[in-house]
Amino acid sequence: MVLALLLILLVLLAIFAANFVRDLIYRYKHQKSTKKYHKQEVITALLLLLPAVILGFLFVLLPIFFSLGYAFTDFDLLKPNDINFVGFDNFKTLFTELFNKGDIFYALRNTALFVVMVVPLQIGIALLLALFCNNKRRGTTIFKVCFFAPVAISLSVTAFLWLTLLSPNPAGIMNSILGSFGIPPQDFLGNKDTVMLWMVLISAWQGCGYQMLIFLSALGNIRKDLYEAARVDGANVFQRFFTVTVPGLRPTLLYIIITVFIGACRVMIQPMLLTGYVDRSMTLSYYMYTQGFTYRHVGYSCAVALILTIVIGTITLLQRKFLGEKK
Amino acid sequence: MKKSIALLLLSTILLAGCAGGTDEGGGGEGGGSGAVKLKIRFHVDSSSAEGIAYKKVVDKFNVDYASENIKVTTAFVARSAGDSQYEAQLSTDMQEGTLPDIFTFDAPNCAAYAQTGYLYDFTNDLTAAEKDKFITLNSYNGKIYGIPIQESSAGFYYNKNLFAQAGIDVSGITVDNPWTFSEFKTACAKLANIGVTPVDMRMDATKDETATYLLYPFIYAAGGSFVDSTGLVAQGYFNSDASKRGYQFLLDLVKANYTNYGIGSTDFFTGQVGMYLSSGWTIPDLDNKYKTTFPDRNSWGLLPYPKDQIAASANGSWSFGIGNNSRKDKEPVLKLLKYLTNAQSSEAITNATGMIPANKEVNKNYEPNSPEDVLLQQLSKTGINRPATVGYPQFSNVFKAVISDLRNIDNAGLSSFIDNKALQLQNELDKIK
Repeated sequence: MVLALLLILLVLLAIFAANFVRDLIYRYKHQKSTKKYHKQEVITALLLLLPAVILGFLFVLLPIFFSLGYAFTDFDLLKPNDINFVGFDNFKTLFTELFNKGDIFYALRNTALFVVMVVPLQIGIALLLALFCNNKRRGTTIFKVCFFAPVAISLSVTAFLWLTLLSPNPAGIMNSILGSFGIPPQDFLGNKDTVMLWMVLISAWQGCGYQMLIFLSALGNIRKDLYEAARVDGANVFQRFFTVTVPGLRPTLLYIIITVFIGACRVMIQPMLLTGYVDRSMTLSYYMYTQGFTYRHVGYSCAVALILTIVIGTITLLQRKFLGEKK
Repeated sequence: MKKSIALLLLSTILLAGCAGGTDEGGGGEGGGSGAVKLKIRFHVDSSSAEGIAYKKVVDKFNVDYASENIKVTTAFVARSAGDSQYEAQLSTDMQEGTLPDIFTFDAPNCAAYAQTGYLYDFTNDLTAAEKDKFITLNSYNGKIYGIPIQESSAGFYYNKNLFAQAGIDVSGITVDNPWTFSEFKTACAKLANIGVTPVDMRMDATKDETATYLLYPFIYAAGGSFVDSTGLVAQGYFNSDASKRGYQFLLDLVKANYTNYGIGSTDFFTGQVGMYLSSGWTIPDLDNKYKTTFPDRNSWGLLPYPKDQIAASANGSWSFGIGNNSRKDKEPVLKLLKYLTNAQSSEAITNATGMIPANKEVNKNYEPNSPEDVLLQQLSKTGINRPATVGYPQFSNVFKAVISDLRNIDNAGLSSFIDNKALQLQNELDKIK
């Protein structure tokens, strides 16, 4: 393991050194025309980059490389000294289980449902909140703080809060409110038809504050004279929104769609804390975690992670292609 | 250029440092001064009552065995993130050859740890008399791999006041003469008639091991089981007709609203629930808290698990196992193991935890038919282990999913639901290499 680590580090450093040399040669050749950087400045810049490169390599690239490799092995968490190459066996198992309606079928179904619902809902709420807060009226800051507060609270704390709110006990907070209208107690998180809806609502509530801040920043960058021109042309509020605000937010919107989508695909803590590992709410990340750490099938778990990464990456690229800024 | 070389060297040194050993070091043959240095790891926080008790016992060992030059150092890896963190540490130790000489493990993990070589087989290192000292031992394939630290069983705590109001007489129910599934339902019906929730079966405790631990005996009691003797076949066992009878009993309780998933954690203690399924750790709460509902031991009691085809009750707790590390001479380790599990140590630890000593020599002088006596009798007479399978986490998760989803199942759908779960479990067991 240590040797492999050092070998990969050496490869990285070789790439780094090659780039360094190439850069020096380039600078030497173009010295007369550019004269922008001195050799000493280039060295300093590259040295300053080195810590980030090493950390990124150790904590981002290396795990990805290992994960990629493990996906083709039978790595068992309890048998770290007995790892064998098994080709595509893990992927065969994955697809067999998927078509036989095993756990991964429910994980995929729930994740897809979650993504389809949470992405538009969370972004929609965030945009509405940003529009609401995008003014200089008194007290707006209080609203901003309130809307952003759930982002700053730990997921485990909010999960506990929602478990209390949604308790199936007739004396639970939500059921007490429903009871006052004569509605019988509901098992919100136990009912297979409603549990994912609540996961979506809780996630959107917790996450939208962050996107609101990004939207607010983007809204501030839209030129005011465009609104003035639109108003002079007789555009009403909705027309101004769709002809000025939306185009102005387009790059930000793309970024938010991609990040919320990726975050939604990786949802795990909510089902883990609110329901446990059950068909009605397990998600792909939770499935992956359970397979890797609870069931100890690290190799298989990495295969699932690889497929998930490919799917997320592909959809993200498609999003960029179809929603990206028109040139 | 010199700077680049220096940085390269520094990076290499740093990485070599990162890839080094753990804080516990290896399980080698000991120090160079002739002293035998042993490592032991516990699964609890060092500042907890249990952790302090372990530390005291180890400190006493170090004093008692100073003349033999044996020195034990402790490490505490609290299970704050569940089994996975503790196991990840074990896995790293295994990879690096630094398994502790003794470590604690939860009884159901015995099969997995034994099969993968983490645990040392000490079957032949214990005499028959030594083996007989303990209520249970952790074995796999007929070999002994662990000695329980303490024992745990569960039963139905009941509110005597509510039972009297409902006209329920349980005076004849003992571990030797337990009530039946049918009598249990009758009692529930009577409690429902006086307007209280009859029983908290802990159906909602599926996010950790609690539901599995408390509810698996009902399947055995109905004559069912979970897996075959290899621990790798669930089809035909998990979903046998007898097993389904056990699940049917639990479903009946849910459908009749004798129990539900929304019972508050203190509802029994505040007199809103007639019975409460729990382990021995509830006794201190009933003795010391909730004095309004339960002023003394005359106001509450403990009933054994009901029987159907057989009587079955929960057991199994954490155990001591010997790490299968590079240390060839296990004699000092065995001395430590025997010391940790002797009557004095066992008493010291269980005094801190309130659990039942695993060592039968500890005389706790429980009063006949007292709650502690009921638990102790259950352990020796009706206690059945959770399934011994290397796929225990898989079993536990599927079982908890069954319990959690009973609320969404009707009587007609139960059989196919259990068949489907057995298939899911089988799929997971098939992945084990």
